[in-house]
Amino acid sequence: MPTNPEKLKSVKDFTHKNVFFALVRTPAGRTFVGSSDFKVSEIDLTTAKPELKELGGHQSYVTGLALAGDTLISGGYDGKLIWWDIAKKTKIREVDAHRKWIRKVRASRDGKFAVSVADDMVARVWEIATGKMLHELRGHKEMTPNDFVSMLYACAISPGSKLIATGDKVGHIVVWDAQTGAKVTELEAPGMYTWDPVQRRHSIGGIRSLAFSPDGLQLAVGGVGKISNIDHLDGKARVEVFDWKAGKRSHEFPGDKFNGLVNHLEFHPKGEWLLGAGGANDGFVMFFDLNAKKAVKQEKMPVHLHDAALSESGESIQFAGHGRLMVWEMKA
Amino acid sequence: MNRRHFLGTTATAVGAAFAADMTRLNVLSSPALAAELKAQHKGCILLWLAGGASQLETWDPKPGAPTGGPFRSIQTAVPGVQISELMPKMAQRMKYTSIVRSLNTRNADHGTGAKLMMRGRKDEANLKYPDLGAVLAKELGRADSQVPDYVSFYSATEGRDFAPGAAGFLGARYGPMELSKSNIPENIRKLEAISELDHKERADLRDLLSKQFERGRQSGTLGSHNEAYQRVRGLMASEKLFDIEQEPQKMRDRYGKTQFGEQVLIARRLVEAGVPFVRVGRAWWDSHGQNFETHQEMVPELDHVMATLIDDLKERGLLEHTLIVTLAEFGRTPGINASLGRDHFASAWSSSLTGAGIKGGVAYGKSDATGNRVAEGEVGAAELFATIYRSLGISHQKNYYVGSRPVPLTEPNTKPIKELLA
Repeated sequence: MPTNPEKLKSVKDFTHKNVFFALVRTPAGRTFVGSSDFKVSEIDLTTAKPELKELGGHQSYVTGLALAGDTLISGGYDGKLIWWDIAKKTKIREVDAHRKWIRKVRASRDGKFAVSVADDMVARVWEIATGKMLHELRGHKEMTPNDFVSMLYACAISPGSKLIATGDKVGHIVVWDAQTGAKVTELEAPGMYTWDPVQRRHSIGGIRSLAFSPDGLQLAVGGVGKISNIDHLDGKARVEVFDWKAGKRSHEFPGDKFNGLVNHLEFHPKGEWLLGAGGANDGFVMFFDLNAKKAVKQEKMPVHLHDAALSESGESIQFAGHGRLMVWEMKA
Repeated sequence: MNRRHFLGTTATAVGAAFAADMTRLNVLSSPALAAELKAQHKGCILLWLAGGASQLETWDPKPGAPTGGPFRSIQTAVPGVQISELMPKMAQRMKYTSIVRSLNTRNADHGTGAKLMMRGRKDEANLKYPDLGAVLAKELGRADSQVPDYVSFYSATEGRDFAPGAAGFLGARYGPMELSKSNIPENIRKLEAISELDHKERADLRDLLSKQFERGRQSGTLGSHNEAYQRVRGLMASEKLFDIEQEPQKMRDRYGKTQFGEQVLIARRLVEAGVPFVRVGRAWWDSHGQNFETHQEMVPELDHVMATLIDDLKERGLLEHTLIVTLAEFGRTPGINASLGRDHFASAWSSSLTGAGIKGGVAYGKSDATGNRVAEGEVGAAELFATIYRSLGISHQKNYYVGSRPVPLTEPNTKPIKELLA
């Protein structure tokens, strides 16, 4: 079905005291969220009065969710990955996956493996069927150039399940061979990281989102641009796109409308546009036409958005944010 | 007779006295002398967490509460006392440290809050109070000291002007040596055009002429004048105290490469050499956005440097004479804003006290389940300062006199937190 970002409109708004950090939806329309109450829950956003139904919990914020068939994998700031059977609504296994916060979890389209990234600066590849660790991907420094701990925020898997990309706080990106765990190439996006050596003497920013294009040739990178007052997220929402094989940045969207972090990037299934979502004190959603090299739609959202999920057709988007879950549509 | 010959007989003696004072650190290498000096001198290192560190991410975690944030708490070496998982090194050393979890200072403004927490009380319209450093400089400094009495590091620019060191009614003698651009004081080196010998001889000549002039005269002004010259000579000679190159690389590695680590190492050198008060300002904790990211970055540095300082002071036999305070202008809101930040909050926040006359391992006071209010043992700046003074052997009700008006160190009827005093 064709889509038209110009026709973006809200169709459902669910408010709650939780901060929702992660959201996934099944092809059949089921939605799962991870939140600040340490829980993984299911919610049917098509009903008149949606309710959160707890699947289980972590011991800290739940910040990563990945789906492969009937298997849901959740990751949290407790460093654990938990496998869930969403058909039986039961826990399958729990793994002490990382010694620091897990920031994101992604599953390959072929359903064979998942990737988790965490502040121990390691990406780990897991066999979804067994929970066995397949690879440890070490290519991000534990400390920033200023001797503070770094963070590994983002990961993505290419649509063909052959590549993995990881991005860290200082703007370092590594593309990995998913099969062998070997490093394929490295890219840099230093514009996503602000170290303030004079006024406040700490840092902010980082690569917060990554997405491969449907053909796997482009890698989109999201975060926030340089910030003068790092007490706040006062930098412009920033997106860069790389021709990763050539090691060249092909697009730069430094932001002209919204401040804050781009926490989620996702290509339209056929590559018509690139979606970016995020926020600072409030939120935003942006659509980029990569051929025209411009933002074709930028919409203010009521809350800081932490995650989003497109429907298979690309016609609807579910958003997870600060105290809110929302459904928006953009049917042509 | 040339000047050099004229001074010949006095130069050796004066020079020897001068050198002895400026190499106090070397004196400490003699165990007997070191023990005596350590017993005589108390000192305080204030780790000033400028901008307001979060009590929930340091000393008073609320894991699982809606306001608790993502960090877990960890058990410390003291049964029943838990702190944030971001402070594993301090958790191991909790028997030396006490926490105050029930500060209600009623002022969540950076500027006035910083002044309040540096001075322990609000200024009056016609009376400017001295801050903690100035009071300790007066109370713990030696009259004949040739090292500075009050040193303040504050290198970041944000918030520096909110609470500059202030001697208030005590006068400039007790004001701080402020270091903001460099870890080594500027403008205390002798001019390169003047040789070491020439420099010393000029001082000797001035001394001789002063003594001749002093003969048969009773002059307090002249005494003060001479004392000022002595202090200037001492300060010039103290440059090496600020130079961490003088420390073994192994020790520098222990504190770490960060600016905060280096400045705390210098603070230890200064206190060891007899400086009674050093503030190390670590700015800037004002995490209105991305509070958890900020604290994940900054608390491990605090944890590491503070734990190293405790170990270092203990190994040198200085911990029982040196108080380490962590303090800020306020803490941070339990409520988490839309930017995952925490805002200014002074109603229920925390400080820590370590060493000197402090009983370690005590968590005094309680905030409620969400951290929004003090539930038990509420104290303000006055009680905290009274506790600090008492831990250093100073009566918190001691009177200073401004003209004929007696001014007690803390407000009348203020009580120190006796549970924290050894």
